[in-house]
Amino acid sequence: MSSIKEKFNQISPSEFFYSNRDLAGFSNPTRSLYTAVRELVENALDACDQKGILPDVRLIIKAVDPEKPDPKPYILTVKDNGPGIDSKYVPLAFGTILYGSKFGLKQARGMFGLGATMAILYGQITTNKPVIVKSSTDGKIQDEFEILLDIQKNKPIIVKHKTKEISKQGLSISICLEGDYSKAGTKIRDYVYETSLITPYATITFDDPKGEKFHHPRFVKDIPPPPTIIRPHPHGIDVERIRRMIVESLFEIPNIDDAMIEKVRKDLGLSKKNISFTGIMEKARKKWKTLPRQVRVVISLMSFLKMDFEKLNKIRIEDIDVPHKKLFYWDFGDSQSKSVDMDPESLYYNQLTHTVQGEPLTTFLTKRFQRVGPTTAIKFAEFAKFKPEKRVGTMTNQELVHLSNSLQKFEDFMAPDSSCLAPLGAEPLEKGIKKFFNPDFTAVVQRPASAYSGFPFIIEMGIAYGGEIKSGGPHVYRFANRIPLLYDEGSDVVLKVVNDADWGRYKVKGDPPFVIVSHICSTRIPYKTAGKENVADRPEIERELRLALQLLSRKLAAYMSKRGQAEMAKKRSNLYAKYIPMIAEFCTELAGKKKEPNYKKILEEVNLIESKKTVEEEKPIENK
Amino acid sequence: MKTSKSKELSKKAKEKQKNVLEMLKSHGAKIYDDLDNGRFPKFSIPSRSVSNIVYDKKLRQYILGNNSALRSAKNSAQLRSFTQLMWLAFFANRLTQEKKSSTLRDVYYSSQAFAVEFEDQSESDNIIVDLEAISSKPREDFHIFPEERSSIFGDLNIEYTIPGYEGKTMNLSNHPDGYAIGPSLTTAELVDTSAEIVIAVEKGGLFTRFVEEQIDKKFKSIIINTGGQAPRSTRTLLKRLHDELGLPVIILTDGDVYGEHIAMVIKSGSANAAHLRELTVPDAKWVGVWATDIEKYKLPTIPMTESDIKRCHDLLKDPRYEGGIWKKELDVFLRIKRKAELEAFSKYGLTNITDKYLPQKIELAKSL
Repeated sequence: MSSIKEKFNQISPSEFFYSNRDLAGFSNPTRSLYTAVRELVENALDACDQKGILPDVRLIIKAVDPEKPDPKPYILTVKDNGPGIDSKYVPLAFGTILYGSKFGLKQARGMFGLGATMAILYGQITTNKPVIVKSSTDGKIQDEFEILLDIQKNKPIIVKHKTKEISKQGLSISICLEGDYSKAGTKIRDYVYETSLITPYATITFDDPKGEKFHHPRFVKDIPPPPTIIRPHPHGIDVERIRRMIVESLFEIPNIDDAMIEKVRKDLGLSKKNISFTGIMEKARKKWKTLPRQVRVVISLMSFLKMDFEKLNKIRIEDIDVPHKKLFYWDFGDSQSKSVDMDPESLYYNQLTHTVQGEPLTTFLTKRFQRVGPTTAIKFAEFAKFKPEKRVGTMTNQELVHLSNSLQKFEDFMAPDSSCLAPLGAEPLEKGIKKFFNPDFTAVVQRPASAYSGFPFIIEMGIAYGGEIKSGGPHVYRFANRIPLLYDEGSDVVLKVVNDADWGRYKVKGDPPFVIVSHICSTRIPYKTAGKENVADRPEIERELRLALQLLSRKLAAYMSKRGQAEMAKKRSNLYAKYIPMIAEFCTELAGKKKEPNYKKILEEVNLIESKKTVEEEKPIENK
Repeated sequence: MKTSKSKELSKKAKEKQKNVLEMLKSHGAKIYDDLDNGRFPKFSIPSRSVSNIVYDKKLRQYILGNNSALRSAKNSAQLRSFTQLMWLAFFANRLTQEKKSSTLRDVYYSSQAFAVEFEDQSESDNIIVDLEAISSKPREDFHIFPEERSSIFGDLNIEYTIPGYEGKTMNLSNHPDGYAIGPSLTTAELVDTSAEIVIAVEKGGLFTRFVEEQIDKKFKSIIINTGGQAPRSTRTLLKRLHDELGLPVIILTDGDVYGEHIAMVIKSGSANAAHLRELTVPDAKWVGVWATDIEKYKLPTIPMTESDIKRCHDLLKDPRYEGGIWKKELDVFLRIKRKAELEAFSKYGLTNITDKYLPQKIELAKSL
């Protein structure tokens, strides 16, 4: 038995990752290089976002030995101007797996901040070089670490640590890792390009290993409003999560040791004095309102035990048996278990039972979930056939499952709070599309917040046509929580919705120069795979995508018919310009003349007629 | 005698050329004026839609009614065809002036040299018909001829009028393969002949047999192979042989509904050429193979197809098939639902058709 336990202990999270690195997108040198870039850049952007700093992110990839053929070691460096990380936490943050700071419920690019550590681990596995982390939180002093990961113990090994004075705050991470830039290059360049489109307030620079520089300066000066951290929605919860929430809400019976007794005496103002049981009770009643919960619980216990501090010192509380209204304790002096009855009429009884049994269901719902008021809570209790005052701490396993299922089924909860979302905003998105594609036509929409399974989401979408856009569209640019999605396009819900659209109906034909930009923001993007590349087709999300696309398509159709008319008019003018001179040439010889007739007047008239027609035909469209 | 006739004819040809050129010039001048004065040029073309094709009992042919369509350079949808037509008039003008010949196919390819676009030959053929309709003149007058596939053989002296051959003569019985009926033959003067009849046959095979069997000598005839439906140049020549030399024309076709119609087109024209009136030989006679001949001569037959039968019913609605032998034979075809080829006579010997059938039919033609 013990040997098995030992074996289990040996598999640390780092080791688990080591053997399952495909899961996190580190399957081969090409994909790994790309994933490492992504994780580090996204971390940098998230860090800046959180502190409201306009991000300046610099990505540098350098081959250790440029002459070697791919795959080969590269040094990947990402620098930002974010808040940096306190030097105390640097070794833990970059030297252990599963050390993350992003556990709150709000929209962010990464969920738990694990990705960067994975990239570091991958680098170490393939090149056996330490990660170099330079961090400055104040813009004056910079801590520089060289860290290796002890994979088996999941602990950081600090190889080097020094400090120096600098003038900029921010974080810089350098990893040496095995990669294949000749294959991953296109995707990485696309990634940087697309990231700068969806993060228009960031300046992103990329120095690639071939000496090329890609500079994407910010073109929006304002950061979109940051998301707030919020409580979970009842629809987005499962039994395990409820169990944990209940445990969090429970207040443990404090261990009555010397320190605790000292605290109670201090809070009652009785540090020095030894007074009788009744005196203590008297004092406690007067000070009750100011006492912390722990102290109240101890006083309540004393009220049933009828003991003063000295006696209290010689026992240990064993159990509070609420159903039988008995309090069990171990008497050290007599070396035996004893019990006293508890008077259910006593106010102290309530104090104890509340502590042991947790909050009533309604309080639990209103306090621990978002957008649940007392009325809804009571309605829900009726729906789920629980007593509203049912203590959550007394629920059996079966009741918990029932509670969890009922929370999913109850439809009268308000839609999830979307304040935890941070969409980019229609205006910056449109600005970005115009800047990146230089199209003839752009339309952008931000849908109102919606929710699937208790997770709020917002769809932002833009459509662009003509101009410098390549033909062969629609070209679909997919984003989720400001991350470009570049792989596994085929199975993505956005692609499905775009492909289902009947573009002919919207006057888009042939090989159109045509771009669709889709941005899904959610506290949880329903990715199909762990690699975070394609979004699953949840009906609610699909519906919102469809609505967004339809709205934009109608705008595009209106534009297309205008454009079509203008093109037709131009085509007609061109027809005259082409054929009238030919007619003139042929009839000149037929008529036996030398000089061609003066047909200029006719062509002028034609242009006049066509431009008039176009203006007239445009009017009804405006009304539509 | 011979020279005076020849001179007279050549004068006639010159006059014809002059007419054509004047007509083209007047159209050209009108369009030139329009353009020069800032007006969109336009002209009207007799409509060739089915609703405007009517049968004229007096003329015994289909003619166009009074409907006409306006073609204007102002209409962007017509601009292209307007330009094509202008080019064709321009090209026809050059052909006529320089006495050069061209074919339908040649016209189509020539257009490319002038950056005039035709989708395919049928589009250019169609524009040629437009020019015919406007001018009421067959394309041959503009020196545009179909590809040659029909031929002629027999004692007929002709004198060429085409440039380089003017005044040269030729006897059409000198070459046993026969002579292709092309532009130079169609425009040649028909000087004289010893023949007393023209026999038009539908098929090249039979034409060769007739030459071999010296039908031209035996029956004092000119033999013409129409090569299926007779092209307009051949119909023009048939008409001239009839009108200018006073020769009767008899027609020998396969014993089916299509054969019957080949004869009818020679006699009274086709709906396709309803805009032209110089292409019919109303006195021409269809002598076989009739549906009744199939029974009479016990010819080997094959069953009529669905489309044969449908064609019978269609033709029965045509006013030209309202009476006489035409209706009678169609009725018989519909009754027996079988058809026979001209070659069917070979069952009774290779020369059976020339020895037995033809003499009877020539005799019969006199009484028709």
